[in-house]
Amino acid sequence: MAAHPAVKAINTQEITEKARRGLLQLLEAVRGKKNLVIERSLAGTIGLFVKFSTLQEYGVDKIFFLENHNVDSSQRNIIFLCRGESAKTARMVAEQIKLVRSESQIDHEFSIIWVPRRTRVSDMVLEEHGTLGEATISQLQLHFIPLEQDVLSLELDTAVHDLYLRKDPTCIFASAQALMRLQKQYGLFPRILGKGDNAKKLADLLQKMRSEEEVNAAADSNNSYLTSFGLTPSSVIENLIIIDRDVDFPTVLSTQLTYEGLIDENYGITNNQTEVESSILGGAPAQPQSQNGTTQAPATATKRKLQLDTSDKLYPSLRDANFATIGPTLNRTARRLQSDQQNIHNQDQSIADLKSFVSKLPSYQAEQASLKIHTSLAEELMKVTRSELFNQMLEVQQNLLAGSDPSATHENIEELIARDVPFKTVLRLLCLESCLSNGIRSRDLENFKRQILQAYGFQHVLTLANLEKMGLLVPRESHRGYLNPIGSAAGQTATDWNALRKGLKLWVDDVQEDDPNDVAYVFSGFAPLSVRLVQCILQKSQLYNLVNQPRQPSSAPTGTGWKGFEDVVARIRGATVDVTQKGHDADASHARKTLRGSKEGPKISLVFFLGGVTFAEIAALRLVSAQMEEKEGRKIVIMTTGLVNGGRAVGTAVEKREFGQ
Amino acid sequence: MSKATADWKRVGDRFYRSIRLYTDVFAPDLELENYIVVGAPYSGAVALYRDESKIFAPRGSQAVGTKATIDLYSCAGRLIRQIPRDRGALAAVGWSEDERLLVVGQDGEVRSYADLGTDFTPFSLGHEAEEYGVKSCRFWGTGFVALLGNNRFVAVTRYDEPRPQALASAPPGEVISWAVVPPEYTSSRSVEVLLAVGRTVHVVDAAESEDRGLQAGPFRHIAVSPNGKFIALYTDDGKVWVISSDFQERFSEYDSRVKTPPKDLQWCGNNAVVLAWEDEIHLVGPSGSATSFEYDGFVHLVPDVDGIRVMTNDVCDFWQKVPDACEEVWRLGSSSPASVLVDAVEMLEKKSAKADENIQLIRGNLDEAVNVCVRAAGQEYSVHRQKQLLKAASFGKSVLELYNSDDYVDMTEVLRVLNAVRFYEIGVPVSYDQYIRLTPERLVQRLVNRQEYLLALKISEFLRLPVDKIYVAWARQKVRSSSTDEESICEEIVRKLNGQRGISFEEVAHAAYEDGRGSMAIQLLEHEPRAGKQVPLLLSLGEEGGALDKAIDSGDTDLIFWVLLNLKKKMPLSTFFRTINSRPVASAIVEASAIEQDQEVLKDLYYQDDRRVDGSNLLLSEALSASDTNGSADKLKMAAKLLRDSKDHAPQVAALEDAQKLLKFQEAFERDLQGESFVGLSVNETMGKLVRLGHGKRGMKVKEEFKVGEKGWAWVRLRALVGRREWRELEELSKGRKSAIGWEPYFNEILGAGNPKVAALFIPKCTNLAVNERIEMWLKCGLVKNAAEEALKAKDREKLEELRGKASGQGVVEVERMINLLGRGR
Repeated sequence: MAAHPAVKAINTQEITEKARRGLLQLLEAVRGKKNLVIERSLAGTIGLFVKFSTLQEYGVDKIFFLENHNVDSSQRNIIFLCRGESAKTARMVAEQIKLVRSESQIDHEFSIIWVPRRTRVSDMVLEEHGTLGEATISQLQLHFIPLEQDVLSLELDTAVHDLYLRKDPTCIFASAQALMRLQKQYGLFPRILGKGDNAKKLADLLQKMRSEEEVNAAADSNNSYLTSFGLTPSSVIENLIIIDRDVDFPTVLSTQLTYEGLIDENYGITNNQTEVESSILGGAPAQPQSQNGTTQAPATATKRKLQLDTSDKLYPSLRDANFATIGPTLNRTARRLQSDQQNIHNQDQSIADLKSFVSKLPSYQAEQASLKIHTSLAEELMKVTRSELFNQMLEVQQNLLAGSDPSATHENIEELIARDVPFKTVLRLLCLESCLSNGIRSRDLENFKRQILQAYGFQHVLTLANLEKMGLLVPRESHRGYLNPIGSAAGQTATDWNALRKGLKLWVDDVQEDDPNDVAYVFSGFAPLSVRLVQCILQKSQLYNLVNQPRQPSSAPTGTGWKGFEDVVARIRGATVDVTQKGHDADASHARKTLRGSKEGPKISLVFFLGGVTFAEIAALRLVSAQMEEKEGRKIVIMTTGLVNGGRAVGTAVEKREFGQ
Repeated sequence: MSKATADWKRVGDRFYRSIRLYTDVFAPDLELENYIVVGAPYSGAVALYRDESKIFAPRGSQAVGTKATIDLYSCAGRLIRQIPRDRGALAAVGWSEDERLLVVGQDGEVRSYADLGTDFTPFSLGHEAEEYGVKSCRFWGTGFVALLGNNRFVAVTRYDEPRPQALASAPPGEVISWAVVPPEYTSSRSVEVLLAVGRTVHVVDAAESEDRGLQAGPFRHIAVSPNGKFIALYTDDGKVWVISSDFQERFSEYDSRVKTPPKDLQWCGNNAVVLAWEDEIHLVGPSGSATSFEYDGFVHLVPDVDGIRVMTNDVCDFWQKVPDACEEVWRLGSSSPASVLVDAVEMLEKKSAKADENIQLIRGNLDEAVNVCVRAAGQEYSVHRQKQLLKAASFGKSVLELYNSDDYVDMTEVLRVLNAVRFYEIGVPVSYDQYIRLTPERLVQRLVNRQEYLLALKISEFLRLPVDKIYVAWARQKVRSSSTDEESICEEIVRKLNGQRGISFEEVAHAAYEDGRGSMAIQLLEHEPRAGKQVPLLLSLGEEGGALDKAIDSGDTDLIFWVLLNLKKKMPLSTFFRTINSRPVASAIVEASAIEQDQEVLKDLYYQDDRRVDGSNLLLSEALSASDTNGSADKLKMAAKLLRDSKDHAPQVAALEDAQKLLKFQEAFERDLQGESFVGLSVNETMGKLVRLGHGKRGMKVKEEFKVGEKGWAWVRLRALVGRREWRELEELSKGRKSAIGWEPYFNEILGAGNPKVAALFIPKCTNLAVNERIEMWLKCGLVKNAAEEALKAKDREKLEELRGKASGQGVVEVERMINLLGRGR
């Protein structure tokens, strides 16, 4: 896909580089060899931009996980690298400092690097433990980390848990800070759109931060001029679209059917890495593993880490495809490689031919290795997708998504429970039904609950209570506004899915999985609501034609923002956000435009998923982005608090303890 | 007008100049010899305090009983502040580059006075300092090192969060003299101490101490140049050595030929060393050449980055190497273009034709000449000469066709500022180089420190700098010093500050709070635009609710949590709960944190709010963590009890009771079936395990007891039997008449377990399936004949023919027969 020349994306390289430099500088500030104690969840994130060998060059001797409580006293310098927002983490750090101090003979030098900021609470906790004076404290402003050129993530893996189960808005604030930094660099987002109550909170917070930033900028004598210049509307970014996960849980709960999505569903992808049994990849040559250092914990010998990003030869072309089309694609590639090989063997070659071949050899070999890996992986996944249980589950899911009567699926779900399929699978189906029909009939729900408790254990009373708190599995109530969709827009607490299926064409019957033309391909029929919402703003005419297919293509809505789709959007739960940001200083805005030298308007739309995004949605948005780029040279950059899938989402609710353990 | 070179001294091949900055500096009766004088860098304030090692007779103003003070003067001798000394003996007093005064007591307590105020923040240098006492200190721009009584060094490298750090231990022996190399000039990037012990010098840093192996000691004085590159040493036999700071090179040696060692040795810029005796100074330039100068009174040296100030009761002189630009212009006999240009302007004023001649002479280098004149103007202290040079520059550039006047304009602006602050009432004789290093912003801050608000404001406006800090500082001062009623002060402040960008009302309010004017603080705080900033102060003012609301307003969860933690400490628990109750975000955060660490609080919270389900769930969670089943059962009982009163929770109560019952059952099973564990399994798993162990009856009992549905039971039993390879029993089942789950699962599961023979038994029972499906099933069991019979029954000729291909041996014949049969039948 040729990059459109006019599109200058967010410079992800720069973000990575900045994070890297920041960390290394902090490490360098501590003289001599040091041991690094790192929070487990942060380790993978750090691994995305710094290699272990680099850390070693900067004097890091050993790495420990904070959670393991096993820091030793082999080095005088001990550095903690942890997230500062959580009191729990701060307490762990304080306890370990105390422990090391009391047990070790040496006079240790402690440093703490808080990510992304030093907090009052962490100070308070350290003070209570009497360790505040013991450590040199600094902060590493690590916000967005690029997972790919077009995906920026905060990698907050507790976002769903905090936001929807605990109602703790910490990650909204973290998102606001991260977005604010982006605004400082690229200019104000000229328009902020969004859907969902948390999206509204985030947008409000951005507004507030902006006004406070103006006060701060004026007070900051160093670069007052530059920062006020920064707070003019951006000439690169056209708008920010915030999607609150709460608006669209069904997409998360559904089984992703893209290649990458299925890998995530079955093996899990974290920090662009997945772990599979090495027996699956058996034949593959032992590649020099990109040792992303921070993973010191000895992975069980049978597991192997697999890097899944653009460094792989084939993966970029496979990741977003519907799994049904993976087989043929792999076949084609295999044939191509084979013919290449034959070419070499068969012909009498001149030296020049040979030379050009040799120069291609490494890439050829890499491709071959990658082909081997993905073929084995696809075969393994195929075993799953062909299993009877998977298909039974999928049938239930597709029926629910397509809008058929949910009670018809109950028997199937009951059978799945009786057959003891993985707990999360059952929960996902039930939650999906509950979300799509705004609750399950009380009697049915009680029935399901009984069966679940009997099949999976009574400790899951807690699981079910958690799911209810998250609003994922609730009894249907008559007064939830479902029957009376003409409520006030902000007060809408339930989504009218039937209206949406029509109004946004959430279900596409004749979906093209090969060479897709609509985002519905990622779920083989279901178009994710979140992506449809983005299309409401960015692909108005296309969506309009799709929805109104049978009729004559009448005048498609024009304009910006939600225009043309207000009615449908109002039927979705949660607040609707639409804010226009203008600069105070018209001259500065103008100057900015001139400096950028672009006569056309800004070209990039940021889509921010508050609460996480799935790989399927990323794939769908990439399709939208590609279509837009081809047509009008515009692009989408996806941002999120982290990656999520159905298993992980319901997993936050699942009680993990058992009786008598 | 005196000539520019009048105050020049030739030292070797260089020129040095002493500029008389101020006269009548200190009161004549101030006995400077009994005082220690330390000056802040960049021509900052000067601190004077009694030298306690000297005996003095109290007299005059210094009456007995008056408290000792540290007096802060401007360089012109204007008293800025008196800081009372109410503690034990002083070890040292020093400055940081942002004019923060540090007073180090011999007991290791340090007081840090910011902004020339009398408020301080104390910190301690640690136990060792307390125990052995602090002997002396050496300061640099952002930190200091203290020498303790046991020859150990403690370094402090930052003042915003001072963390005393012990350096490597120094060698024993009397420390004759010592100095520090600031961290920015060392290769290790941490501070290094040079210490003269015995005949040599040791270098001590955080990690190690190293003997530099010099032989010429003992060194009475040791000093490091401002750029950290050179070290000056004074030997016992009256010699000054200058060596490189890595001890590799020796640059010069100077013999003072004086018996008494000087009382002080300091660097003058980076290229000369000044020795001071009572009233005489020697200036030692490079290559050992020197000049001496005598003063009327006792001298004190105040070194700075680009020169050195010499202070006596009478005068304050600034010694420095004549800047290159000035030398180029003024040096006698200089024929540099700049010098010619200055001459030309003089001629022009005399209306002499030589002016033009001169210009033509330097035509080619005119732009260079203009630049030099501009630069030289910046280095001059005399307004007359500044004008003279600028006039020359202006004339020169008028002749040039193309000239970028930016430097010229900038310089005129800078000079206005410099002249304004050098005025004796302000007393900041900052040189051009110092000004560039200090930056205009910090210069303005220094003026604010001296309460010169108007000048600070004028300069800020002139240089287009932000003014908010000046207003805030003014308002703070106003709050502190005004005695009029609060209402009118507040009004005046708000009137003046409103409409200014970026004003931090919080800081002003803080000043009011510190002054004990609580209500005024609250009033002022109302005007603070940043919600988050208001929080800490509101909290200290006892406005808990307000603080919490503002914190929630700010959206910063850290701040909210912090306020909550503070409130929880302050308030009785019930009040605390009442406070958070009406604020959902706050209760969510309290709940989230309590779940992780403090379940007791959570219980109280749920109890107080009558949230029974949550309370019950908490007990359930405890039941899960209980160490034995009895404990679990007790907790479960309590959990159920909590909900029993209400009908709405009947299903949950039932579940909790079932959980207890299950535990009892499981314990019984564990007793009966030795060696098997059941606790922890679910109902279905328990049934399955029982069936698998061959205790189908017990399994059945569990099923009855927990009212497990027929379908569920059927599946569990089927899977367990298959898992146990209990083919006989399965065969038995195939004789049954009805199945809750149909017969297909039996076929599938058994076939999946690899027993087609038994699986086949179930095929005829799948009557609800289509013929073709049944044929498939037969085929899966490898029974083509049966499949064919099925097809025959359905009279499907095509299928039969298809099957013929799959059959083998005898089977082919059979199928053939059936086809014929069908054919005949037609």
